[in-house]
Amino acid sequence: MSASSKQQKLLEVENLAVEFDTYGGVVKAVRGVDFTVDQGETLAIVGESGCGKSVTVQSIMGLIPMPPGRITEGSARLRGHEVLGRNAIDGKDIRGSEIGMIFQDPMTSLNPTMTIGDQIAEPLQVHRGYSYQGAFKEAVNLLEMSKIPEAAKRAKQYPFEFSGGMLQRAMIAMALSCKPSILIADEPTTALDVTIQAQILDLMQDLQKETGMAIILITHDLGVVARMADEVAVMYAGKVVEHGTVDDVFYRPAHPYTVGLKDAMPNNDRELQHELKPIEGSPPDLFSPPVGCGYCPRCPHAMNICGNRHPIDYFLGDHHFSRCWLHAEQVTEKPESLYVREHN
Amino acid sequence: MWTYSIKRVIQGIITVWFIATATFFAMHSVPGDPLLNDRAMSPEIRANLEAKYGLDQPLLTQYVVYMTNLVRGDLGISFVHENQSVNDIISERFPVSAILGILALFIAAIGGVIWGALTALYRNQLPDYIIMFLVILGISVPSFVVAALSQLFLVNVNELAGRTLLPVAGWGSVLHLLVPALVLGLSTMAYLTRLMRSSMLEITNSDFIRTAKAKGLPPARIFTRHQLRNAILPVVTVLGPQVAIITTGGFVVEIVFAIPGLGRFFVEAVQQLDYTVIMGTTVFYGAFLVVMVILVDLIYGYIDPRIKLEQ
Repeated sequence: MSASSKQQKLLEVENLAVEFDTYGGVVKAVRGVDFTVDQGETLAIVGESGCGKSVTVQSIMGLIPMPPGRITEGSARLRGHEVLGRNAIDGKDIRGSEIGMIFQDPMTSLNPTMTIGDQIAEPLQVHRGYSYQGAFKEAVNLLEMSKIPEAAKRAKQYPFEFSGGMLQRAMIAMALSCKPSILIADEPTTALDVTIQAQILDLMQDLQKETGMAIILITHDLGVVARMADEVAVMYAGKVVEHGTVDDVFYRPAHPYTVGLKDAMPNNDRELQHELKPIEGSPPDLFSPPVGCGYCPRCPHAMNICGNRHPIDYFLGDHHFSRCWLHAEQVTEKPESLYVREHN
Repeated sequence: MWTYSIKRVIQGIITVWFIATATFFAMHSVPGDPLLNDRAMSPEIRANLEAKYGLDQPLLTQYVVYMTNLVRGDLGISFVHENQSVNDIISERFPVSAILGILALFIAAIGGVIWGALTALYRNQLPDYIIMFLVILGISVPSFVVAALSQLFLVNVNELAGRTLLPVAGWGSVLHLLVPALVLGLSTMAYLTRLMRSSMLEITNSDFIRTAKAKGLPPARIFTRHQLRNAILPVVTVLGPQVAIITTGGFVVEIVFAIPGLGRFFVEAVQQLDYTVIMGTTVFYGAFLVVMVILVDLIYGYIDPRIKLEQ
């Protein structure tokens, strides 16, 4: 990351690489990802299915099954302490205590034969040494905090008695039970309908303001990104191709893939309405990762160098960088759709 | 809960009535008749006897008499064993079979759950391969072979020890019970092991186990609180029908180990065409099975909160 941010960030992920052994060979799912997250900030990781965004956060959480998974390179430091391959830092458990996580499908993410209250109470018993009664009482408070009506009654119910939105609220209550400094939300609203999506996102934002936690939001919904994120990392084929503030990425997209994503997104604003353009082709096969830029075969502006060499980081602002050869000085005619830095 | 239980009991009674009716007509169509004995009998005596026992009445009347007696709980008198009513025979012999069967089922269920969980934990490793090999043996080798082999094994062990560690056959003490119960429960245990293994593997990859890991729970807690209870549900479901397999399997084991249980008696009754005993025992076993299935369903509703017993 840029040298300008000398002070320690809350979470620093550096050059993370993850592989999976499969019958077909080794899949290089994540190929050198770095990003940082600050206290109270929301980082959105966007990209299409299979780009490695879920694997990235799951390896930070230690949720990658090993074998067949393997973290081959890189580090992830929470307040300067390495978390990869560890269960605890500074005597505090990472999972559930330092970092909480919620998942895509709340209907299957909760134990069907255990009451909601008991499931929320569990981390408190394990990480904070609560008694069962104390933890259950706290679970009811957490459900109230997640704006579930009749929390005391609801805590004694089972997941099948909850709706999808309610379950996601319960998941949030559970993830935040031990007041983690980071909440990882892996496509938290994908399985929910639109009105419920908005409620869940509002809830996450409210709780962020209250607790000052950081949120890492994984999504492929740019609408969610615009609403929630401070910073955005765009991933493609196991790498971050563009990183910047939400304004950078939406108003000054500097990578053809980001531009492609934006063109494929519908817009409500009449003046900004445009014909939706799909990105043709499909992502590269990660059994044999491309030598050059992964987006090259689908890129409308691909050049000779793109297929042969990995682009380097081109900084377009303090936090805004793009990995695309189009930003090289030698390229004289740059595509109009792309934001480029004016050379003084 | 109560309405559900009552409904199930009524259904059960209807089932038993069906079994009784089917048994009655099936027995009636069996060739031979109860008065056919080696002693010659004059037609007059025969007619008198038939009149006495209502055998000259139309079939339907006989059926009504049989059913009335059945409702009163009277299963009749044995045609072969002197001075013994079927009720006496069942109340005397059934406890022996029941103790053996319950112990076998207990061993099978506990063993199946433990072995199944172990194979899932050591999936595709040596313990998994060894247990799964034994499971295939347990399912495919018939119980009379296992019973005979285990007797041979016991004889050798006792000879080596120079005294009777475990009796080879017979009835009387807890020691007599152990090996027959194990043999009787073996195939069920093997079946449950396979079921438990696949169910455990399915649960291991489920989303809520990932959630439990993300909560930072220790592996032991994840195993006991989250995996086991969910994985055990399919095992409980098949326990009811498995009771039938264990009770019918009991005939063979009771004969091989010379255990005076009802199963052995039942087989003998069939060989000797002991009409009342065959019918009485069949109806009794049928009723027993119905009760066990209802019991398992009630237990299932308790373990899995999603099962609404009211509906």
